[in-house]
Order: sequence, then structure tokens, then C-alpha cells
Amino acid sequence: MSVLAGDLREAMTSSAMIAVKNLDFYYGQHKALHGITMDFPKRKVTGMIGPSGCGKSTLLRVLNRMYDLYPGQRATGEVMFDGRNIVAPGMDMNRLRARVGMVFQKPTPFPMSIYDNIAFGVKLHEKLSRAEMDARVEDVLHRVALWSEVKDRLKSSATALSGGQQQRLCIARTIATRPEVVLLDEPTSALDPVSTARIEELLDELKKEFTIAIVTHNMQQAARCADQVAFFYLGELVEIDSTDRMFTAPREKRTQDYITGRFG
Amino acid sequence: MSADHALKQASATPVAAEPDRWRVGSALVARRRFMDRLATVLSLCATSVALVALVSILLTLLVRGAAGLSLVTFTHSTASPGLNGGLANAIVGSLIQTAIAIAIGAPLGMLCGIFLANYGRGWVASTTRFVSDMLLSAPSILIGLFIYQIVVAPTGQFSGFAGGLALAILALPIVVRTTEDMLALVPTALVEAGIALGARKWRVIVFICLRAARTGVITGILLAVARVTGETAPLLFTSLGNQEWSVNPAHPMASLPVTIYQYAGSAYEDWVQLAWTGALLVTLGVLAINIIVRVGFDRKGA
Repeated sequence: MSVLAGDLREAMTSSAMIAVKNLDFYYGQHKALHGITMDFPKRKVTGMIGPSGCGKSTLLRVLNRMYDLYPGQRATGEVMFDGRNIVAPGMDMNRLRARVGMVFQKPTPFPMSIYDNIAFGVKLHEKLSRAEMDARVEDVLHRVALWSEVKDRLKSSATALSGGQQQRLCIARTIATRPEVVLLDEPTSALDPVSTARIEELLDELKKEFTIAIVTHNMQQAARCADQVAFFYLGELVEIDSTDRMFTAPREKRTQDYITGRFG
Repeated sequence: MSADHALKQASATPVAAEPDRWRVGSALVARRRFMDRLATVLSLCATSVALVALVSILLTLLVRGAAGLSLVTFTHSTASPGLNGGLANAIVGSLIQTAIAIAIGAPLGMLCGIFLANYGRGWVASTTRFVSDMLLSAPSILIGLFIYQIVVAPTGQFSGFAGGLALAILALPIVVRTTEDMLALVPTALVEAGIALGARKWRVIVFICLRAARTGVITGILLAVARVTGETAPLLFTSLGNQEWSVNPAHPMASLPVTIYQYAGSAYEDWVQLAWTGALLVTLGVLAINIIVRVGFDRKGA
């Protein structure tokens, strides 16, 4: 009975962590997204694929309102997250970004120690004692499988790490602020295959706790990591479906052409 | 030898094998080779002229300046001819006025550079940038007269502080320029990464961007120090110079460049000697700063 109730609750809450409805996006006069409507299910990985300039990164940058940094960029429509429309005016941007974290294409370690890289974000939102902070740093480094590699040099510069290590540190830094959603913008495109494989393994672990949206140019990566895949083309969402159906039986011809490498 | 080899290879292809084309080609190659050598020789000549001048200045300074260098130079203040004076008041005066200049110019310049690099889009920014660049090339004596008009004349008092202020105006545009340039080199991705964690922009600028650019910014400040320590003109109407020992910035204050200016043209042999020694000290100081900048910061990659 209680198991059934749990399943039911799971089914209801897992419906959508973020619900995008009729979203348009403009770079100045140029309209880059046309009426996007899609859900990001809770604790699932949503892969976003499509040729360069199709709007997948643009959509990602709407979800944490990164576009706010640049005058002239604006979004209209509805992006519901925890009961609020985050593209509406009056959002507390810093709170939003603590709850919706982001990892970038190139590793972006801050010019400070490994420890401080992680503590920087945490300090913005929480007051932790020294011991609590130590525990938080160790915990997130364990979770990105970096602890054994860096535990003896937490105080040394993060920029001395390898590219793959830097990217795992950036993921650790992002989850250290305890977000609910993690956005990844081509997180492995600057990394070698071994580092890429480690990050992909990591995603499987992370989705137990976080809702993940990942933009990728790598079809295999989308197939391996994502639970559902969205295909974008020329600023439109062409198709969104479970990963299996998307790669075996896409409904749209454009999707089929893209994933079989006929264009893009 | 390798060129011959290349020619043979080229002749193997049917098009290049035509005799006429060959001749045109070789004339062209010979001409280019000649121009290349000519340019190399000319630039070597130019370099050696500059180097000879520089080495000759340094050697002359070293020989004539070192002759008067002794403990007295650092322990005694300037004195009347024949009384065996030193340069202690001028050295300390220069240090104090440079310190005042940097204490005012560096923070202001950094703030201004931060503004230009991160918020510099509108007309305020382009005007600021233009004025700052103009200041960079303004004749330093004008800066001295400016401070004379707004500080010295109203208070009726030449002072070390006025001298420091004039030097600060000279240091300001150097710091503005280097801070802006160095911050512009910080990747946008780093800024976005900070913002993405929920940090406010000022925090990202201060704790991430400025930190990433710190070697470049410090280099700029040191270069400003090197620039202002050698300045004479802005001090003539501001700190004036002082024969006595004085560390009070409210009073006229001695400095190495002004002392050099006054003593080098004097009729007394010991004063002329002091001028040489002072010139040597200023040069060594500036040289030391430049070496610190090169060795200390270039290696880490600004």
C-alpha cells in the first residue's frame, strides 16, 4: 500500500522539474527560439541535440537566466520551476542560480586553490563552520571521483589539474551549492575519451539526486547518458522522446536525417 | 643545397618545367633573398645603434656615478658646496612622493580600469577611455602646473603632498590602461562560471577576475612606479625641492630628479658629482623594478 503510494508520488513528482511552455528567445532583433514547449523530468537526464546554432545552448542558458548578463537578450513565455515562472521579472537571480547550477564546455577552474574553488560557491549561500565546509568539500570531491587524486593538494592551485580533473572539479563546485538542477553545456567536448567516459559515468550517479540537462554534439553520448532526448533545428524543437525511441524510431524525417549523419 | 633540391622537385612537375617560368622564378627568388638579407642587416644595424647608445649611457652613469657613491650619500642630506653632503633627503623624498602617488593613483586607476573592462559600453566609458589615453601622453610639466594652480597657489605652500598628487595623475592612466587590458584577457567563461554559482557581479570581478589578472595588474602598478620616480617636471612647481632633511609632506620636499636637475648644471664640482650619483640611483631603481616585473611575473604568464 505504502509502496504503491510511494510509486504514485514518484510518478507525480517526476513529471516535471522544469516545465517550458511557449518559450521564445531573442538576441536583439533575431529570434533564436520559436515557441519551445518541453518538460525536464525530475531526476532524469535530458539530452539536447542538434546542429550548431539550433538553439539548444540558448535554451540551456534560459534555464538559469545566464542571458541576463547581456543586454538585448530576452525571453518571453513560461518556464515553470518550483511554482515560479523564472523568465518573469522579479526573480532573485542568485537564488535561482544556486538551485540551477551550470557546467561549461571548457573547464573553468577559478584561479585559486582546489578547496577554495568549491568553497567559493558554498560561501555565497550558506554559513558553514570550518569543519562543515571541510566535510562538504570532501563529500563533493568523493562524488565526482576526484578525492583520491587531490586529497593531498587541496590547497594547491586548481589550474594545475588536467583538463578532465578540472571539469570534474567544476561539477563538484556546482553540486556543492546543493542545486536541484544541473545544466551541462557540452561538458566533454574539450576532453579526451578517457576523461569523457569518466564524466559520463558520473552523470549516471548524479541523476539519482539531480535533474540534469545536457547539451551535446555527440550522438553516442546522448544515447548513452540521456533518458529522454530533444532534437532542435533552426530554433525549433523538432522532436522530443525517450532515448530509445528517438534513436530507433524517430517520428520526424529531420530527426532521422540528423542522427544518421545526413546533415548537421 | 636544400633550395636546389626544392628546385629540382619543382622542375619535375610539367608546368614548372617551362624554361621561361624558370628564369622569372629564379630572378624573383634572388631578389627576395637579397631583400631578406638587406632587411636583416638593416634591422641589426638599427638594433646595435640603440644598444650602443643604451650601453654607453649606462656605462657613463655607472663610472661617473659610482665615483661619488659612499655611505655619506645615504646618511647625509644635501648641503652647501664643499660641506660633503649626501642625498638622503632626496632619496627619502622620492620614496615618500612615489608612495603618495601610488597610494592615490593605483586604487583609483584599478577602479577605473574595472569599470571600463566590465561596464564600459556607454558614452561615459568611451569618454573616460579617451581622456585617460590623452592623460597618458600629456606633457608632464602641464600636470605640474595644473597641481600648482589647484593646490599650491590656493594654499600658498609648496609641498611633498602636491608633488605626490602630480605624480599620481601621471600614474593613473598607466594603471587604468593595464588594469583594463588585463581584465579584458580574463575569459568570459570564467565570469559566467562565477555568475552561474549565484555570485553577484562585483564579487566575481573582485574575487575571480582581479585574481586571474593580478600579475598583470601588479605589473602595471610597478611600471607606473618606474615611470613616476624618474619625473622631474611635475615636481618643479609642486614639491619644489628642499635642501634640508624633511619627511613632512606638508612642506617642500626634496626628490632625486629635482636634485639632479638643480645640481647637474651648477658650478660646484661636488654638486655635479652628486647629480651623477643621483642619476645612477634613479636608473638602478627603475632597472630593478623592470627586472622584478620581468623575472617575477612574466614566467607565470600574466
